[in-house]
Amino acid sequence: MHRKFVLAAVAASALLLAACGGSSSDSASSGGSESAGGSSQAAGGGGEGDCPGADAFCIGLVTDTGKVDDKSFNQSAWEGALEAAKATGGYAKYVETVDPKDYENNINQFVSAGYDAIVTVGFLMGEASVAAAKANPNVNFVGVDQFQAETIPNLTGLVFPEDKAGFAAGYLAGLMTKTGKVGAVLGTDTVPPVKLFGEGYKAGVLAANPEAEVTLVYHAPDNAFNDPEWGAAEAKKQLAQGADIIFGAGGNTGNGALIEIAKAPGAGETIFCIGVDTDQYATVPQAQKCLLTSAEKKLTQGTRDLLLLAKEGKFPGGNFLGLTGLAPFHDTEAVVPEEVKAKVAEIVAALDAGTLKTDVSLG
Amino acid sequence: MSTMDPSRTDLGFTDPDPRRSGPLDRIPSIVLPIVSVLLAFAVGAILIWLQGVSPLRAYAVLFSNALGTPEGLLRVMEKSTPLILTGLAVTVGLRAGLFNIGAQGQLLVGAIGAAWAGYHFQLPVIVHLPFAILFGMLCGAAWASIAGVLRAYRSVSEVITTIMLNAIAIALVDYLASQPLKEEGQPLTRTPAIAETATLPVFGIVPSGFLLAIAVAVFFGWFLTRTTQGFRFNTIGLNPTAARYAGISVKGTIVLAMAVSGALAGLGGAIETLGVTGRFEPAFNAGLGFDGITIALLARANPIATIPAALLIGTMRTGAAALQFQTGIEPEVVDVILAITLLFVSAPIVARLLFRNRNIKQTTVTSGWGS
Repeated sequence: MHRKFVLAAVAASALLLAACGGSSSDSASSGGSESAGGSSQAAGGGGEGDCPGADAFCIGLVTDTGKVDDKSFNQSAWEGALEAAKATGGYAKYVETVDPKDYENNINQFVSAGYDAIVTVGFLMGEASVAAAKANPNVNFVGVDQFQAETIPNLTGLVFPEDKAGFAAGYLAGLMTKTGKVGAVLGTDTVPPVKLFGEGYKAGVLAANPEAEVTLVYHAPDNAFNDPEWGAAEAKKQLAQGADIIFGAGGNTGNGALIEIAKAPGAGETIFCIGVDTDQYATVPQAQKCLLTSAEKKLTQGTRDLLLLAKEGKFPGGNFLGLTGLAPFHDTEAVVPEEVKAKVAEIVAALDAGTLKTDVSLG
Repeated sequence: MSTMDPSRTDLGFTDPDPRRSGPLDRIPSIVLPIVSVLLAFAVGAILIWLQGVSPLRAYAVLFSNALGTPEGLLRVMEKSTPLILTGLAVTVGLRAGLFNIGAQGQLLVGAIGAAWAGYHFQLPVIVHLPFAILFGMLCGAAWASIAGVLRAYRSVSEVITTIMLNAIAIALVDYLASQPLKEEGQPLTRTPAIAETATLPVFGIVPSGFLLAIAVAVFFGWFLTRTTQGFRFNTIGLNPTAARYAGISVKGTIVLAMAVSGALAGLGGAIETLGVTGRFEPAFNAGLGFDGITIALLARANPIATIPAALLIGTMRTGAAALQFQTGIEPEVVDVILAITLLFVSAPIVARLLFRNRNIKQTTVTSGWGS
């Protein structure tokens, strides 16, 4: 009797497991999606109604497999599209990709509805964007985080000088370190943006504090961005060696380091961590305690600027370098001295203006 | 421990006798799935209405976009193809008394196997295409056989092993696509593109893979009801003890049924690779195997019925993007409807297991098993 009941329960839970796993288990494990799993109601966008007509500037956005409120790449790009729509008096709408096989179809929905500009988010959509841009020369495409090897006039890749973001973060770390030792736990150096972050960080630390000791550790290329255990272990090692500020950059691997550092005694007082890409105060809440700032790619601004250029008929094509900078301090606002904040802001401005070079190359 | 197998999960698909006792068994078998789908759509309608959209308009958009245009029809067929095959994979297992939750893992290894066979060799079409398809099926069969052998010779529940093998398959194909089989010179985790000679053609708007899937479903409709081997599958599903007395090798048949089930899921993966994606990329095959479970249960383990069940789900998945574009409804509403359908079609199975307790007790007393 009981045994049968257990069997029934097993069968029922197996079905449930299967149902739950259906839509998410696989896509979550495959790399490339920047989704942070935000599941709350999407703000704005979508909705009934459509591009009001030929006069209005209509912007479409296709997310990578992930939600538009992911607090990361998708959301930042969408906010840029909304700002551009507001500035031009136009209209913006998004479609969330559920199945990567639908990239092309999702882009084409906007094309056939007569949209003027289409934003595609994430490097996984790179090929679909190139194909769509070639097929539709009258529509402007913004490829967020998609480096363009070949110049197509109506497709602009929004890419970022990661070395500048790393440099700014490193400069802050160099000024803030008490032990004179700082560290970084990074994804693989075979991926150019990661190496640029790492080497830029090192250059920044040494620019602020030539006496400092910088330890950079890169993951092996295999599984480089999804190894939080390794990230945590390396962070622990660096803490034990006396590092008091550690930069974590490399997807879940870097996040693993941040979360580990947040658990260390003195986190947020004497021990700090620095996040990457977007403001990780929002994407990795477990790291809030130690999070000094994040080496940020200004996606919202870059997306907006490119869309405004498209509206003005000055769409550049090829690659467009977005701005980088540092995310707000949040909880560590009070810990960072005012003169450090001023000095770092100065460095960020000089990097943006191009008057300060990071002297980092991939060579 | 007697001959009766305590780890066997009776799901009610193995008994062909329509006059069975129990309150749920007198309803014609077609009614339950239809009622389940309708109820799920009703619940979905409430969810859509709560988002401020007319459910009628939403459902009209969902279906008209998928079925009303040639491109829509092509994609419905493309999306339904792997679903027919994973549905068949689960169905064949159910008929032999095996609950294969591992169609997703078997599909993944089949997909990457076909990709490797598709790009690694230079062969004439007439050899290359069948070879790539068969190699994908072989990979799926081999993967499922692990669970089959453990089930037959060690009485390890295939429900548990196939779930675990799914997780292993995901990690395995991620590794293969990011290391030994990775396309050189670009950062994405994926294999090189398959050769032209291994590509499944599209006839007008009809993908050849879809025709293949239909043919396979029809074949299994015949195989399970009209052949000796099909009879063996049904018999071990029905009563392994009787099967053994009748001279059927129960262990061998379990392994074979599991391998056939895996080969079908592997075929689904192979067709995806050779007909739709053109290479293996891990994220491209998410969830197909799990939909197979819904389809098999919706089809009441009838091979032919997997075709309409798969077409229903394929249509909804195709229409989801247009639904979002035109009405702003979150595309996940389709997943919700499918999950509710699964809940309704599977609830009677669980209920049956509970209601049949008395009968089982009597059987077990006479066979000397239990306590």
